[in-house]
Amino acid sequence: MSDKTIRAGIDRRHLLTLGGGMAVAGALAACGGNTGRSSSTSAAGSGSGSGSASGGGAKVTLQQWYHQYGEAGTQQAVEGYAKAYTAADVKVTWKPGDYDQTTAASLLTAGGPDVFEYGNGPTIDMIKGGQVVDLSGLLGDAESDFNPAMVKRMTYDGKLWAIPQVVDMQLLVYRKSLLEKAGVTPPETIDDLMAAAKKLTSGDVKGLFLGNDGGVGLMGAPMLFSAGADYLNEDGSFGFDSDGAAAALGKLRELFTSDSLLLGAPKDWYDASALTSGLTAMQFTGLWTFPDLTKGLADDYGCIPWPAMPGGAKSVVVGAYGSCVSAKSTNVDAAKEFVKWLWVDQTDKQLDFATAYGFHIPARASLVPQAKTLQSGPAKDAAAYAQEFGHAQSSVLWTPKCATAFGDMMSKIVKDGADVKAEIAKVKAVAEAEVKRVLG
Amino acid sequence: MAVVNTSRSAKIGSLLRYSALILAAALFLAPFYLLFRNALMSEADLGSPRWHWLPPTWEWGNFSAIFNDPALPMTRSLVNSILISIFQTLGVLIISGLAGYGLARIPYRWSNAVFYLITATLLIPAAVTFVPSFVLVSSLGWISTLRGLIIPGLFQALATFLFRQFFLSFPKEIEEAAFLDGLGYWGTFWRVVVPNSMGFAAAIGTITFIGAWNAFLWPLVIGREQTTWTVQIALSTFLTAQSVNLSQLFAAALVAIAPLLLMFLFLQRWIVEGVERTGMGGD
Amino acid sequence: MTTTPANVEVSAAAAAPTRPPLGARLRGRQNQNLWFWVFVGPFVLGLIIFIYIPILWSIYLSFFESYNTVTPTKFVGIGNYLDMLKDESFRSSLGTFIVFALFIVPTTFALSLLTAILVARTRVMQAFFRSVFFLPTACSYVVAALIWKMSIFSGVRSGAANALLGLIGLDSIPWLSVTKPPWYWLVIVSARLWLQVGFYMILFLAALQRISPTLYEAAAIDGASAWQSFRYITLPQLRPTSAAVLLLLLINAFQAFDEFYNILSSFGTYPPYARPPLVYLYYVALGQGQDFGHGSAGAVILTLVILIAALVFNRFFSFRGDD
Repeated sequence: MSDKTIRAGIDRRHLLTLGGGMAVAGALAACGGNTGRSSSTSAAGSGSGSGSASGGGAKVTLQQWYHQYGEAGTQQAVEGYAKAYTAADVKVTWKPGDYDQTTAASLLTAGGPDVFEYGNGPTIDMIKGGQVVDLSGLLGDAESDFNPAMVKRMTYDGKLWAIPQVVDMQLLVYRKSLLEKAGVTPPETIDDLMAAAKKLTSGDVKGLFLGNDGGVGLMGAPMLFSAGADYLNEDGSFGFDSDGAAAALGKLRELFTSDSLLLGAPKDWYDASALTSGLTAMQFTGLWTFPDLTKGLADDYGCIPWPAMPGGAKSVVVGAYGSCVSAKSTNVDAAKEFVKWLWVDQTDKQLDFATAYGFHIPARASLVPQAKTLQSGPAKDAAAYAQEFGHAQSSVLWTPKCATAFGDMMSKIVKDGADVKAEIAKVKAVAEAEVKRVLG
Repeated sequence: MAVVNTSRSAKIGSLLRYSALILAAALFLAPFYLLFRNALMSEADLGSPRWHWLPPTWEWGNFSAIFNDPALPMTRSLVNSILISIFQTLGVLIISGLAGYGLARIPYRWSNAVFYLITATLLIPAAVTFVPSFVLVSSLGWISTLRGLIIPGLFQALATFLFRQFFLSFPKEIEEAAFLDGLGYWGTFWRVVVPNSMGFAAAIGTITFIGAWNAFLWPLVIGREQTTWTVQIALSTFLTAQSVNLSQLFAAALVAIAPLLLMFLFLQRWIVEGVERTGMGGD
Repeated sequence: MTTTPANVEVSAAAAAPTRPPLGARLRGRQNQNLWFWVFVGPFVLGLIIFIYIPILWSIYLSFFESYNTVTPTKFVGIGNYLDMLKDESFRSSLGTFIVFALFIVPTTFALSLLTAILVARTRVMQAFFRSVFFLPTACSYVVAALIWKMSIFSGVRSGAANALLGLIGLDSIPWLSVTKPPWYWLVIVSARLWLQVGFYMILFLAALQRISPTLYEAAAIDGASAWQSFRYITLPQLRPTSAAVLLLLLINAFQAFDEFYNILSSFGTYPPYARPPLVYLYYVALGQGQDFGHGSAGAVILTLVILIAALVFNRFFSFRGDD
């Protein structure tokens, strides 16, 4: 898990294929076969010059990429936004499949996008490699209105590298009726949670669902947060070689062997069906399942933040797709203009994007009260938790290599029962080398 | 006495053999049964914790749903897959057939060296050279074109290897006769060798067709616009939807493999007989 | 050797009266070098452009620090190679794949041969059985993984395997969620066998049916047992086919990716167990990592390992296809 978007589960599905692959830019209808690696020569052919397009006759063409959102209507919506923009001709490409991989590779070529979204902003290697441009200043006066956790996450070296589009979150959801029947109150601490999970388990109905891998992929970060730890500290030093963090991760192993976890459900944690079809009483999942939960359970569900360990804090994990501008774009200025227009200025479109199709929280605090979907029931609670307990999913310095080492550690601790501290030490060695490489 | 014994043990052997075959056949068919069943189940039944032998409600709408989804060009994807698979199959047969024959039959000082250079590529994991391949194809301007999807797949070392092995065991006397009749290499190949290799070519063609039809990574990367999606890419859109609709996913999977299944059922006999008849296989 | 004289004669006769299609210079068997390249050239050219250039490019990258770029500038010598050899995960993935190859190659081989023999001896419904075993070859790994993961080995009662366990009163097993015992191997191996056995069965079947019945008749007259005629007639006669099948299986096992990736990965991560080298390298170089230097170095190491295995294999089976 880790350096993924909060909706990683949806976007990067296992079955997905033999490989994420990498793809290149969208359309390029105007440029025909222009995907050559030296873009400068083809710039003239592909439209006007760069920068302000208002003066000349021909408009600049911009390629904008989105990963494939599952909710019906989203694609039509973003195409509509693009059409409404008059200063440039924006072509939207809707990418199915393994979006992160395809996008990362396409940035190597001139065939990549001008504007693209990326989970929690660009990776540190994209920033260091000069693949994305600095977007500082685009937020303008609105800066304080944007979700601070996400702005911070997308800032590196004092510069802003992406603009948060919508905020997603993960939290603990439970079925009220099952808890009442078992005489269990929503848990406040991890120990409460484990006791509750045990009590709620009977036969083929399990107490808690943390994903089909027993929480290996999903629960590492919330567990660290619950112990007051993080991947990395503010100064970039290693964040979880403490007794508290080790104890928290050890609790996941206890849960895994307690026989109260649901494992191997037909649909994984990112889907509401384990809860609605009665396979489990509690489930860690995303805000995006709320429409399905309401459909399946009416008001028989509630949500709480992930509980705390002694001395730690409750948390909900928040993440956001950030809109980035590729440095290989031949129209960087026009691309920045467009990003500012859509994701900073056009608040009505942002609200539409966040609430009309799926179930997200607007990235700007001032829009949350206008989001009708978030005004009642569990969704209202969730929106409040995002403000109070929101914790960004990962650190910008937490590279994919760190994430792999962390995932291996989680698997060995939870599934194999390996020694927690020894495993943490291995990750520490990898992470410290990586941070040194990135900062060096 | 001995005769009776033999016939009884033969009977028992035959009974055992049929039992084993029927059991194995059931195991081999079970996944197809599950695929059909799931494709016709409703979403709620599929997500339920109970086992169902047959769909409690038959959801034929799954099929129309995947063809009527405006965001999902299923028909176009099927057409693309068919075009790509056919062109790639024909191309591989011609290119590898020629190369295999040349390697097997035309004496050339460096023939063995060339052969080793070709077979060596079999050992290189393709996924690893993927990035440079992609950049290369992209610099040719072949992104989102059918030629970008077809041409890089035309050079299959395995097919060439198999063709060479096959031609090595082709009866030399026949070619000698053709040479005596004044045919050169070219004429011998097209007029004598090819007509007697159709069965083997069909077998290679089938393998190539399957590979082309089931390819995923390359089409995902190169066919970045919906107009160049293959059916596997269309299938993947279901996997990436935010709330996966499993029953539609299975329906789409069924549609994705149906053309191959049909092709197999119709061509199989011919393919197998072809291998038997002309595949003298080096013995 | 000459199993189809009739056919060939017909074709040869039809072909006889034509004249060479190209100019006199190319007539007959002169200019063999030129003819060699006319036949082999197109393939070699494509191979160079689409396979060799990328391979050389990869080798070049393996000596550079190249994060998120394929035109690196910082030369690091064999640093990437040393890193990969020191990398515990990479080493354990190499171990995984050697164990996997040692298991899956003989198993697939034996099962393919066994089904081929069973089908070959069958008179009634032979075509039916042949079709049934051959059919999975048409199925893509993505589709197979979908069925295996969701419908056969899901962790709840709606999965076929757990439904069967339920019939005999056993608890559900979360096949893909636990590592002790490593049930995931059962899932992966069964999926792979289902997908592959039929294809190799067809190859064996074709070879079996080419063995002259007179050999068996002679053996029967000499009083050979079923095992003896299998051991001394069938196996030696199958030798060329066996060598080809083993080579194909070996290459396939080395390049195992699809079913592992599709069955075991989740959310962009892959568990540290049952992780073949190709999957590991995929995450290093092609995943979010985009670390082409280390990824390419790992690929070169993997290639060398495969090469050594192939050479060892070659000592046991000569598959140079002599005449």
